[in-house]
Amino acid sequence: MTSRLKRKLGDIGVDTSSARANENFCLIGTPLPPLEKSRDTGEFVPLWKQEVRDEKGRRRLHGAFTGGFSAGYFNTVGSKEGWTPQTFVSSRSDRAKKKAAKPEDFMDEEDIQDIRDSRKIVDTTDEMDLTSGKQIESQDDADADPLTAALQSAMLPPSKDSVGARILKKMGWRVGQGIGPRISLKQRRLQDLQASTGSAFSVSTSEIVPAEDAEEASKHTYAPRDTPVLVVERKDNSHGLGYRPGMSLNDSLGVKGSGGSSTGPNISSGFGLGALNDADEDDLDVYDGSSANARNRLAYDASDDPERDRTFLSGSKSKLRSAPVPIPPTGTFRDGTHVLPGFVLSGKPVMEDRWYPLPDIPPGWKPDPKRVWSQGQNQEQYPASNKENVKQENTAAIPHGKWKTSGLSADDRGSILGETPLPSAPRSVFDYMSQKDRDRLKNIAANLHSTTGLPATASASDQTSPAPAPAPAATTPRIPRTDPQIARAALTGFKPFPSDPVKQARYTAYLQSQADTSSTIMLEPLPHQSIPEFNSEMEEYAQSAVVFKPVSGAMAGRFTSAAVVEHGPKVIEGLHTPAFEEQSSSNEEKKATEEKELSPKENAARMGMYGHLTRETVPWQPARLLCKRFGVKDPNPEPKTEDPTQSSGPDFQDLSSSSVFDPSVPSGTSAADYGIVSINNDNTSASTSGPRDLANVGLGDEDDTQGRDTLTYERPSVDVFKAIFASDDEDSSDEERGDEGDKGPNDIETSGPSSETTMSTKISPLSSIPVVVDDQPVDPNTFKPTFVRREARTANADSDKQEKKERKEKKKKEKRKAIVSFMDDEAGDTLNVVVEKPKKKRKKDKEKDREKDKETGGLKSKGEKEVEKEVKSKRRNDVDENEDDMWVEKPAPPAVTVASDVEMADTSAALSVGSEVPRGRKRAIDFL
Amino acid sequence: MAPSRGPLPLARTLHVTLDGHKGPVNVARYAKGSAKYVLTGGQDRTVRLWNASLGTEIKAFNAHGYEVLSIAVAHDNAKFVSSGGDRSVFVWDVTSGTTTRRLPGHMGKINAVEFNEDASIVASGSFDSTVRLWDLRAQSRAPIQILEEARDAIQTLHIESTSITTGSVDGHVRTYDLRKGELRSDYIGHPVTAVVPTQDSQTFLVTTLDSHIRLIDATNGKMLNDFIGHTNSSYRCRACFGLGEATVVCGDENGMVWAWDLLDAKLLQPNPPPKVHSKVITWTEHHPSDAGEMITSSADGTCKIWRLNT
Repeated sequence: MTSRLKRKLGDIGVDTSSARANENFCLIGTPLPPLEKSRDTGEFVPLWKQEVRDEKGRRRLHGAFTGGFSAGYFNTVGSKEGWTPQTFVSSRSDRAKKKAAKPEDFMDEEDIQDIRDSRKIVDTTDEMDLTSGKQIESQDDADADPLTAALQSAMLPPSKDSVGARILKKMGWRVGQGIGPRISLKQRRLQDLQASTGSAFSVSTSEIVPAEDAEEASKHTYAPRDTPVLVVERKDNSHGLGYRPGMSLNDSLGVKGSGGSSTGPNISSGFGLGALNDADEDDLDVYDGSSANARNRLAYDASDDPERDRTFLSGSKSKLRSAPVPIPPTGTFRDGTHVLPGFVLSGKPVMEDRWYPLPDIPPGWKPDPKRVWSQGQNQEQYPASNKENVKQENTAAIPHGKWKTSGLSADDRGSILGETPLPSAPRSVFDYMSQKDRDRLKNIAANLHSTTGLPATASASDQTSPAPAPAPAATTPRIPRTDPQIARAALTGFKPFPSDPVKQARYTAYLQSQADTSSTIMLEPLPHQSIPEFNSEMEEYAQSAVVFKPVSGAMAGRFTSAAVVEHGPKVIEGLHTPAFEEQSSSNEEKKATEEKELSPKENAARMGMYGHLTRETVPWQPARLLCKRFGVKDPNPEPKTEDPTQSSGPDFQDLSSSSVFDPSVPSGTSAADYGIVSINNDNTSASTSGPRDLANVGLGDEDDTQGRDTLTYERPSVDVFKAIFASDDEDSSDEERGDEGDKGPNDIETSGPSSETTMSTKISPLSSIPVVVDDQPVDPNTFKPTFVRREARTANADSDKQEKKERKEKKKKEKRKAIVSFMDDEAGDTLNVVVEKPKKKRKKDKEKDREKDKETGGLKSKGEKEVEKEVKSKRRNDVDENEDDMWVEKPAPPAVTVASDVEMADTSAALSVGSEVPRGRKRAIDFL
Repeated sequence: MAPSRGPLPLARTLHVTLDGHKGPVNVARYAKGSAKYVLTGGQDRTVRLWNASLGTEIKAFNAHGYEVLSIAVAHDNAKFVSSGGDRSVFVWDVTSGTTTRRLPGHMGKINAVEFNEDASIVASGSFDSTVRLWDLRAQSRAPIQILEEARDAIQTLHIESTSITTGSVDGHVRTYDLRKGELRSDYIGHPVTAVVPTQDSQTFLVTTLDSHIRLIDATNGKMLNDFIGHTNSSYRCRACFGLGEATVVCGDENGMVWAWDLLDAKLLQPNPPPKVHSKVITWTEHHPSDAGEMITSSADGTCKIWRLNT
């Protein structure tokens, strides 16, 4: 706007600064579309374009056919994150927080709102309780008189006017008034009377005294009196109706007539009667004594006249119905209630409590509660009335819960009251039982009831039932029975009376008498002990035996008894009465504790004599892995799997070799295993001639024959190898002969206790045992050194021999090749099956050799030849001449022959051969 | 230094005080090797690493949820193991300050832990009266073996090259000999709180709660010497050998450090010794190589390093 124009406009009188003068009509650029569609809401939209939305603008109906509710995430089972399942979150720690699902959890806000709305209506009912506050007060002081109650209710406005109250007020009702049509003065008086006496029956028209201003007042009608609402107290105990804890008999009979007068007639039960319902006669409490009154002890109800107004609020129907029926004179209670048909009114008064004066206390009397407690069971000593008094004092204070749990049964009460038991006492189950069952039950009962006497089964049931007469059994000493097994177990178990040596001794004696039925131990009451005391002591022992017997089986392993036994001070029950006894008992205790420590170990430790007395050494098996980690060899390698079914030679060999040479045998042995093994050793060593147990093999020198087996198995290995791996180019004639040769020594060996009959059977180590035993027992200690030496020797000798024997051996082996090779695979270099057989073969071979030698002559020493001759003459006649040239002199064979032969001639030959060697030792060597 | 007559005097000059712990210090161990460092564990649930000569705290290891009762250092100082009220054995990496393993299994608090020579095995002795042997090489978290012979809480244990020695409140010192495969239990008669063997494994020193320290012959269980004079009736006050095993050193419940001649069991001067801690001395350990250095830890919250005054 130029200044000129401004001036011009100013002249005209236009305010140039006004907005209108400055209005700009130029538009630059394209205007943005309006932010909101200013669409007419009432605009017609075709049906297919219409959308259903809730108040929050969410689309509620959608889908292909635009129908159905929205469910899940856009009608899918997916979620906003897609189909990825949630990672598992453990709710373990949140279990406490987790609540059970409520219906509300599955509702959306609309549903919840609905529920809330509906609840609101329900809630209004709560406010209808007009007199709730008053009732609470009236409960507080039950015997506040009705006038003050009425005043209170009149003066105190209801906390909040409910709908009903508001309606009533609009209808003219005011607080403090009763509800109903207005009534005349007379009726109101009647109502007042009725309210004050509390009974509809009690009011008689004659008693309504007209006031002076009656004529003036009777011109008006009055609002009826307010009716107190009867609130039935919640009954949360099991007392009889109308009984309050601590009520005396007089109270319960309603003698004082206190209470309840203001609340109108008592209703027999709170069920089915609304607060505003009238009480029928049927509902009235038949046993209600609270309305007992002199005035209504009438044969006819005086207030019952037909012309009476019918606006009574309560009891009106009953008045109408109660016909003037003459009531039989005996059939009425004092309050006019009819006696139930079939019952007769008693003329005697109800028994009342009587209090007896305290007995005169003798001057020298001292309280001894122990006596009371111990003889608590014997009720005959204490007058029932005394007990009753005590009980009564207690009952006033005991709340209901305690009363219930105090454990006082009807029988107990009966016995307290001194009632005679019912004459038709039920027959005990025990009467139908056999004696055995009864005994068993008796034992069970002994565990359960400490105080009940056990021995007579019939009396066991008597004990529980009230027994007015003193138990006759209490006068005779009685020893309860304990199962011998339990007693025996308890003898070895815990000693329950460490601080009382006398008791402990008696306990032990008792157990011994029970454990051994034939024992002559008899327990007598101590001199100062009365019979009942003795009986209870015996019962205590019987219980202790059951309780303290050691835990058996699997449970026992879970507990360890404390290393230190507590010697707690002995608690003396009852009031403290210092006596001479106490001193001596404390001395005894001291002595007992000293005696307790008499175990040599503890004694030595106390004396400072540490050494072998305080040291215990037990075998312990470290875990194999532990040994490995510590770089220590397993100290007791586990004996290999013991299979009693395989008692054959190969296994034996395998075992011995592994246990001796192989430290890497898997072993998880514990001391227990060790122990078992040692037991086995004992067994087998005791019976050497019996079948051997594999367990003892290789575990030491208790078996004097085992070393031999270990030694013998080395020698044939070379043969065996050769037999297996060398090429067989020998003819079958050798084989046949070898077969025969095998049989020769076998026949001889059958003289042993267990021997083989055929070659195919594996030769057990036993077959070699008798051979050795026959000659002389060999000191096993000598085996080892000789073994090493002989090893080299035999290896040399063998190598010499084998070169020559080779082919022959091969053929023999071939025959049993299958067995041999199998074992070979299994045990590596130690050929287990072959171990024995080759030995025999070896013997046979040697024998053959000898035969051959004999034929070749010259090369052998004289003695050897003699031996061989003998052998040959005895066994062999089929000498194969063909192989003679192959054999040369060997050092060992004669001795071997001797060892394997049974004949004494052989032994003499052996002597001649190796005379410089001690006999036993030589045997071992030769055996190699 | 020639074996002059009489043992070396005890290091009695306070060198430095380590007072980083907020509660009682239960254990103080020298590191292995040249032992320049000290590890302490206390009631405040921490293990602290100290420079022994400077007295500075290097690191605090926080992972325990309960008090720390025992520490053992591996031979290479790369890791250590600690235990306490958590009922788990914690294996720590020293440099990273984190636990590499936690070995649960005990039913009660663990009073003692120890490595074997090459730190492949950890033994832990617990209030539940068992000793559990854990393999650190395998991944298995189960113990290799559980020694359940003790009838009361294990208070101390020691691993030698081929044997494990435990001391229990039931009054026994048990030596599990791996090589022989036998368990030798020596009955001392009083709750055993510490067992320290000599280098040659021929004898061991047993601290019991009857205010006695006994030198027991390992081979036959005979008592060689009995060291008395101090007060030790309710706490674990570990006694140890002085340098060269010529003396026996023990802190007692009154805060005094006592020393005896090993051979004649005579108390070294001063007698009675001065009170150097205000509360019970829980651990006494002599420097493994340095003649004049010793550490004591006490329930008054401090550890003190002692040296000979030169």
